[in-house]
Parts: sequence; structure tokens; C-alpha cells
Amino acid sequence: MVKLTVDNKPVEIEEGATILAAAAKAGVTIPTLCYNEELSPAGACRVCVVEIACTPKSITVTSCNYPVAEGMVVLTKSENAIKARKLAVEMLMAQHPHSDKIAKLAQTLSMGEPRFSVNSEECILCRLCVRTCQEVVGAGAITFVAQGLERENREAAVVWNQDKCIACGSCAYICPTQAVTLNDNQGTRTICTPSTKMEFKLKACTKCGNHYAPEKQLEYMARTSHLPIEKFDLCPDCRD
Amino acid sequence: MNEVMFSSWGGTIVDNRSGRSTPATEIKVPSAVAGKDVAAFISWDGLVISDNNVDVVALANAYMAEAAHLACGECSMGYKGTHVISEILTRITNGQGKPEDIDFLVELSDSIQKNVKCDFCANTVIPLRDALKNFRTAFDTAAASKEAALKLDYIKKVTAPCQEACPIHQDIPGYLELIRNRRNTEALEVIRRTNCLPRVTGRTCVAFCEKNCVRKDIDTPLSIRALKRVPADLGIIKPLNSDKISKKDKVAIIGAGPAGLSAAQYLSIKGYQVYLFDEQETAGGMTFSGIPAYRLPRNVLSGEVDVIASQGTQVRLNTRIRHVEELRGKYKAVLVASGAHQSRDNGIDNWNKDYDGLMEGVEFLHAVSSGKPVAPKQKILVVGGGNTAIDCARTALRIGCKEVTVVYRRSRHEMPARDEEVKAAVEEGVKFLFLAVPVKIQSQNGKVVGAECIRMELGEQDASGRRKPVPVKGSEFVFAADMVLPAIGETPDLTFLPQGKQAKVEVTSWNSIKADENGITNIPWLFAAGDCASGPATVVEAMASGHKAAESMDLYLNKNKIARPESEAVDSAFHDVGLSRSRRGPKPAVEARAYPHEMNAEDRVKNFEEVEECFNVQVASREADRCLRCYRVMLIVTRQG
Repeated sequence: MVKLTVDNKPVEIEEGATILAAAAKAGVTIPTLCYNEELSPAGACRVCVVEIACTPKSITVTSCNYPVAEGMVVLTKSENAIKARKLAVEMLMAQHPHSDKIAKLAQTLSMGEPRFSVNSEECILCRLCVRTCQEVVGAGAITFVAQGLERENREAAVVWNQDKCIACGSCAYICPTQAVTLNDNQGTRTICTPSTKMEFKLKACTKCGNHYAPEKQLEYMARTSHLPIEKFDLCPDCRD
Repeated sequence: MNEVMFSSWGGTIVDNRSGRSTPATEIKVPSAVAGKDVAAFISWDGLVISDNNVDVVALANAYMAEAAHLACGECSMGYKGTHVISEILTRITNGQGKPEDIDFLVELSDSIQKNVKCDFCANTVIPLRDALKNFRTAFDTAAASKEAALKLDYIKKVTAPCQEACPIHQDIPGYLELIRNRRNTEALEVIRRTNCLPRVTGRTCVAFCEKNCVRKDIDTPLSIRALKRVPADLGIIKPLNSDKISKKDKVAIIGAGPAGLSAAQYLSIKGYQVYLFDEQETAGGMTFSGIPAYRLPRNVLSGEVDVIASQGTQVRLNTRIRHVEELRGKYKAVLVASGAHQSRDNGIDNWNKDYDGLMEGVEFLHAVSSGKPVAPKQKILVVGGGNTAIDCARTALRIGCKEVTVVYRRSRHEMPARDEEVKAAVEEGVKFLFLAVPVKIQSQNGKVVGAECIRMELGEQDASGRRKPVPVKGSEFVFAADMVLPAIGETPDLTFLPQGKQAKVEVTSWNSIKADENGITNIPWLFAAGDCASGPATVVEAMASGHKAAESMDLYLNKNKIARPESEAVDSAFHDVGLSRSRRGPKPAVEARAYPHEMNAEDRVKNFEEVEECFNVQVASREADRCLRCYRVMLIVTRQG
């Protein structure tokens, strides 16, 4: 176990835990955006930034992925931490002024309008969808293309592989800025991402005829559960 | 740089603007590029100005625009932050600045340094912050001005400490980034741009990059070599972009080792008709005969050669060139990359090749590699401390030899063999005898029965920087052995080279071809690369040498010039910068390094199956995530007129 303080509150937590987990244990709330407890941390949005008091100079780190250490002094509301957090949120606001989640974050930090604008798609590159698809769904259909040396694509982006996509819609569900949307209509599911529009057939229940799930998702479930595809002929309502 | 007006390089401020003169001899930045004086230099560790006429705001703008192109997008502060800075600076230099811009730039660059995910953006803003702090008036004036600044001409270079250490300058942060994002096919494309043997190097490279990885100063370097193997094994090979115009000139390359293969790939994508000759029945040179199959499976190597051949190189095996002049009529230029395969004189008394149990190390490895029968013995003594010695020892165990000892004249600390190789050998049961050297073979009835050895002690440092071993008088002892394998170094066979009075190839005192680092010899049409020019070196160094020689050949054939390529003159200017591992960004959390799984020692000594496994995609992605992306963008402005 490791002993540390978060905003002067002593807390004890297992080695390897993150500062964010320690803060939660100490009853201190740190605002987050790209964090989800079911997923590996990305450190993308920089909102959960905190200050660690140490000599000769304190450092600022993201609490979602920085591990605790014995005797660590964590300050979540220090001037440095607040300043860094506010600028991180301002950056997100400038990119995406219409997101409720971001507006709410700005409100809790009593922030006004951003001082600048950013030409940007609605995607803020938080990669919640990438991680959900890889780590929870297991399809690995979404990947991140970083901008970098000699990349043909000069903009960083999140991209979908339609062949691997099972149309489950988790990405649309998890997206904090509605950059990914899902629409079911007349036996077709449409998933719109910042770069592509994909259409998938929905399966009709052999008994009641209702379209109840994407065919690709059912095939995926049959494959991973080693059940025959016929087991998915009926919708949940018509099953015994 | 002789006269420095201002410098913040390395965090030390030298300011001579008010007329004082502080010598700036310590500033390690280029003073001239391709014959032109440097007026300004800006990079990750500060900015240096030596000319009053340099527009600092325009310089900062150009630098941040280049830097923003390299921000990866992993974190919004770094990615969007650098882009916002670049946009504001561009606006200011276009005469559309606002007075409040400058304070905002200060605040934003400060926050980027403190709150980004990796090293790139955190270090990138350092010179901008130095400029804003020390040239505040210039920035304020520019922000108030309605006039656009003059366009700035500059020379750019992007590199990283790992990339600089790599002889073939692989874009390591680039392919690690793709591995992290599970885009292995694209990662393979990045690797293949400068590396024609990704699967070979992913298994056997000595990884100079890892020795210069910035993570070294935080926890442990990344497993770069093992990571490279992931795209190499799993990525899909796509044809490389080749020059549209095919050239009629035929070129010959002697030796299908890493140097020859690398040159063949470069010249064939340049459109030449490339003929690659090798006297062996298998291509690969020393990577075939010298690296045992348990480190480099045979099908892996042949697969790599097939890929190179598919790009247009004609591979002619089982073909020994007797005299290089015989190629002259048919080929416009010839590259000698024949390696170093002859064993150096081992200096052991009573050495008689006809004795049963005596064999040179490389001959032994070659025989086993080619599937020739080599009878296992009971007690083996391998002589030497390099990778060849370790390969001999581990191979001897695998053909069924009972007890294997490596004798080395220095101590463990001075051994040139790779640490992981030595560790693996110890695990497999290889014994080591340090500070001793065999001086005489003992034989009975034409068979080896032992070696008389003498103890050594370490004396003064020699030219290689290592302490020189000195024999201890009267310390002779006999080591019983029925096989002795010296692996103390190889030397090239140069008998096929022009020896006549008119055209005689110059050789060095080491019996290697005298060629400069671009493969240029004293004969215009004859180039040399790899071990036959450098003496025994590594796979990656041979590849680098082959590539450089191929560039020189292209220049000779295309422009009839014998010179070093221009791009290299610019590159070499940046070498002086001293691309150290120094960093001023925040310290990241310690993360454990991932190592690939290995077959356990008990099982692996029984056969020649590959010992090391490939990382799986998930583990590779996590390990690649430890990369700090230490790209350094460097901009040079030269003095006008």
C-alpha cells in the first residue's frame, strides 16, 4: 500500500493505482472528459490535470494515468492545476462550442467564452470510441491516425474500418461530442463518423418481424459465443 | 558560429545585443551550411541569432508551423495548442496581429510545456518561449504592425535521438506511433523506406537506437528492435514507390549480403537494371552464414531476398566473379559488397587445419547453416568475445556438443557481444573463461586434445578505449578440449579486384578496400560498401553503407559526378548540434519495459527453432506507447548575399 495526500487529505491505496483513483478514495472529485473507468486511460483531453508538489519544482500531470507514489502530495485545486485545467477546457470549447459535456465542464470551472476559435471537426480526438471498440467490444474497427512525419494524411483523425465494424453503435453512445451518430430506419442502421457514412442491415425477428439488431453484430456474437447463428433468429422479446 | 548576437541554447542566455561581447564558443550549433554562413538557428533547446537582420517573429512563425505538422494528436493540448500558436503567429506576420496576442502566446506556450502527453510538444515550445521572453519588443511591434513580414527562407531537418543513432536513420518515432495505433501495414511502409531487411533487423539488429533512447534516463529504453519485428512479420508488404523513368544503365553488385541487398533495392527503385552476384548458393551473405537459424530462421531471410528481387533486381547466385574487370564492358558501374568471410590469422601455434577438431568459427557456422554434417564433440573451446563467438558456442550446443566454453582475453565488461546474446548463452549452459587466451594447440594422432592457454591481465587503455590485455608470465595452463573454434574476427577476400598497374584498387592496412563513407574508391566506376570496406561490422551498418554507395553510384551514372550527395552536406551540418538526450519537458511516469517471450533454455538447445517470439499486437501497442516522440525540428536561416 502507498500513503499519499490529495488536497491535504491522507489516503492509502494499492501500488500502481492512479492519482484519480486515490482522489476518489479520498473523496476529492477531479473533473474528467476522456476518462472512463472501463477503459485504459488515454491522457488525451488533459482536463484531469493536477499538481504534484515536489522539489525543486512542482510538476503537473494527468491524474487518469499517473501512478501514485509513497509520500506524494497531490494538489487538485492549486493555482497551477486550475490554470492548466482551464486552458485545456478552453481548448476543447474552442474546438467544440456546442457539446453539453464540455459546456458543463466550463460551467463548473466558472469559465466564460473561449478567447480563440479552432477550425475543427466535431471530433476532439479523445479516442473514447477507439478504446471502447478495441477493449470492450473487441472488434478493433476504429483506429487513430496520428499526424506525423511524412504522413500522407496531414490531419490527425479517428478512422473506421467498415469490414471490421459490427455496427453495434458503442462509438456513437460513448462519443462526448456527437461526432459519431447512429440512426435506425427501415431495416437499415446508419452510422455517421467524421470521415465516413456507413450503412448496415438490421436483422428482422423471424417471429414478430421487428428489426432488432445489426446482422453483423449477431454474426459476431455467434462467432465469439460459438453458438449457431439460428440461435439469434428471434428478438429478445420473442425468446422464451 | 563565430559571432553570436543572442543565444538561449541549452538554457544559457548569451546576449550581445547591447554591444558586449561574450564569446560563444560552447554553443554547439552549425556555423555554416553548404558554404553559407548561418544567420539563425532554432530548435528544441533554444534559439541562436548571429545576424541583426533576422526577423525573430518570422523565424518563430516558420518554426511553429513546421512543429505543428509533427504534433501527433494524442493529446488536445499539444495538437490543437501548437496549431493555435502557429495560426496566431501566421496572422501576426501577415500584418493582422492584435496587441493581446502576445500575452496569450506566452500563456499558451507555458501551458503546453506543462500539460501535454509526450516530449515532442513540451520541448517544441521551448525556443518559442525563449523568443517571447527575450524579444518581447519585436513581438509587440509585429503584433501592432499592419505590414506583412518578408518571407523567410530556411533549411529544415527533423530527427530524433534514436533516429540519429541508427545508421540507416529509420523514422523510429514514426513507426512506433503506427504500432501504438495498431496500424502495422503502414508501419512496415515507413520501415521499408530506408530498410530493405525489416524481418532480419527486427530479429538481429544490435539496436544502436535503444542505446540513445531518451527513456533510458527515465526508466528503460523501449524494446525498439523487438517492436520493429511486429509490423515486419504482421504487416502486408506493398511495392515501394519507384522512379517512373527506367534507366538503361546496367549496374553490377558483387555480394548479396545486407550491403549489396540494400544498394540493390535503392538502385532498382531508382530505375537501374541491377544485377546482384553472389558466389554462395544462398543470398544473405553473413546474415545467412554467420547468424544461426535459431536467431534468424532461413525462410525469413529468403523471404526478404524475394521481396527485393520482386522489385526488379536480378539475383545471380552460385556465381563467383573472378576478376572485377570482366564486368566492366557490360556494366556501367560496379559495387563491391563482398563482405569479410576469411578468418583472421588466429596466431595459435601448432594450428593445423587437417587436425580433427580444428575449424575457424565462421567456417563452422557456415557449414552448419548450409546443412553440411559437422560431427558433435565432447568439449569445445570457442575463442573470442564477439557475437560470432557466442553464435559458435550456442550452435555447438545445438548440434549436440556436450560442454562448451568461451575463452576471452579480456573480462566480461569488455566483451563486444550483445548483452542479451551473452545472457542467452549462459542460460543455455555455455561456460566462460575470462582473461585467458590459447597460445598452442595440443594434438595426438592428428586429433586435438587440448589448448595451452595463458592468463591475461588488463593493462593500459588501447586505441579502442578498452584496457589492453597483457599476458601474465608463467601462468600457462592446459585446457582439455577436442574441438577449438577461433572466432576472433574476419577479413575480406580481395583477390578478384583490379591489381594491374593502371587500375589498382587502394586497400587499407587492414586489408579492406579503401573507400570513403560514400563508397567512393580510387577507381571512378568502382564503389565499395559493407564489411569489405569497413571490416567486420553489423547488419545495419552494412545496409547504411550499401545505401550511401548506391546514392554515389546514382550521382556518378546520372550526373557523371564523383561526390557526396548534397542532401548529406546539409545533414552533416546538423550533426554538429549534438543531438543529446537532454530534455526540459516534465518527467513522465516510470513504466516497465516489455520483453518478447523466449523459448525456455532447456528446450531450445535441442534444436534450431527460433528462440524469440514476436510481440502480439496488444503488447506491442502498449510498449510503443512508452515512446516519448522525441522528434527535434531544426531550422536554419542562412545569411543573405
